[in-house]
Amino acid sequence: MAIIPKGLEKQFNILDFSLTSIWRRKLKNLGIMLVFALVIFLLGSFQMLTGALSNSAEAVLENTPEITIQKMSAGRQEAIPLAYKDKLRSIYGIRAIIPRVWGYYFDESSLANFTILALESDSMPSGNKLNLTLSYGHFPKITESGTAVIGRSVHDILGLGKRRIFSLFKPDLSLKSFETVGLFSEQTDLLTNDLIVMNLADARDLFAIPESMATDLCIYVANPDEIETIAKKIAGLLPDTRVLTKSQIQKTYQVVFSWRSGFASICLLTALVAFAILAWDKASGLSPEERREIGILKILGWETTDILAVRFWESTLISALAFIIGCTAAYIHVAFFDASLLKPVMVGWSVIHPPFKLLPSVTVADLMLIFSFSVMPYLAATVIPAWRCSTVPPDSAIR
Amino acid sequence: MRPSHILLIIILVLFFVDGSLFIHSQRLKEELRSDEEIQKIAVAGLGLTDLCVATEARYTRHPAVSDPMAPFMDHPGALEHFPTGSFWAVTPNRYIR
Repeated sequence: MAIIPKGLEKQFNILDFSLTSIWRRKLKNLGIMLVFALVIFLLGSFQMLTGALSNSAEAVLENTPEITIQKMSAGRQEAIPLAYKDKLRSIYGIRAIIPRVWGYYFDESSLANFTILALESDSMPSGNKLNLTLSYGHFPKITESGTAVIGRSVHDILGLGKRRIFSLFKPDLSLKSFETVGLFSEQTDLLTNDLIVMNLADARDLFAIPESMATDLCIYVANPDEIETIAKKIAGLLPDTRVLTKSQIQKTYQVVFSWRSGFASICLLTALVAFAILAWDKASGLSPEERREIGILKILGWETTDILAVRFWESTLISALAFIIGCTAAYIHVAFFDASLLKPVMVGWSVIHPPFKLLPSVTVADLMLIFSFSVMPYLAATVIPAWRCSTVPPDSAIR
Repeated sequence: MRPSHILLIIILVLFFVDGSLFIHSQRLKEELRSDEEIQKIAVAGLGLTDLCVATEARYTRHPAVSDPMAPFMDHPGALEHFPTGSFWAVTPNRYIR
């Protein structure tokens, strides 16, 4: 022990005293630590999950259509006439206009919502590589009528097993049969889990959309720097349309998972209220037993700074351990358990539950935010009453 | 054994657990990187705009191409009732038509 400086040795002794003091009131202190860790776990899980989804979206959605045009009527989206393509030809800089037909199919037997998508994939960027996204098979060719590529959850929910044929109801309740010619790979689950991709003609037949119409138009421009300018020109030329640019689409996922959503606000408010109650309880004063202990220590020759150091160590240990345990548990929850406590709220009544293979987002900024919401108030709330008590004369403290 | 030694053991255990999780995160990052390349092809080739996370309502399945009023459009005076609506914040595209 001779090699340890005297000041450090004193701090070790104070630390030992603090640990003994924590252990003496173990039920109370462990209870506080558990509640503390739970609140930090909740905040941390939310932040790590939403951060992971935002990061994934940012990484993979960089190739979304540069401009998407949807026709609006009475505040709702409706089918867009293909004749609008001719109107757009007057705008210089547009490289390609690709119509898409897509929509939702509600399967009444399983209560699942599938997304149906149809487009000429050969005209799309990376269209020739699309087969790499499949675990087997190929994308429907234009000549292959009645064929489809399906997501893994669609395959499971339809109970296809080794069968290839499935049927969907058209609006007139007649059945339309499809042959599965490909299955999306597990690697694309985050994007394609509920997808059924088919030919344009088949999708039009399924949804009863006239041949002269599409759901929306994807536009690609020659110079990416001109996306905003061309979008403005399109909005001026087609006033009854909604024009979405790539940057707006990418921005969505940086905003939709935030503390401003209802659930997140409740989590944050709950945490704040929990900390406020804890801080109020601590700041309202020490128990008579604790006051007596401080008085005895002062009679034994302890200085005010030593008593403050004991309280500081106690609070630091409880809050820092709760912080580390809470954050560690949050990571394990998101990475190994698919964020199973938050998932029911995030997917709601969805029948399709895509597996989340996500890397929990752990950033210094997020950890500092949680730290400043939890550890700092607790430290302040425990040290201040101890300082107030340790400055009173010892005889009045133990009387 | 001094109490501070027990604390040191607890800290070492936590350090070991967090170190293992860090190694896990690095491995997962590499694994996801190869997945992302395939996902980028799917996004480009199919013109996808959204992640498939919630499929119960069209405005949480495709928030990027929905407008902020979509949850209240089902009928006059409609209330938003889907659970996912409480998890997802309003889309930033509030000034688009």
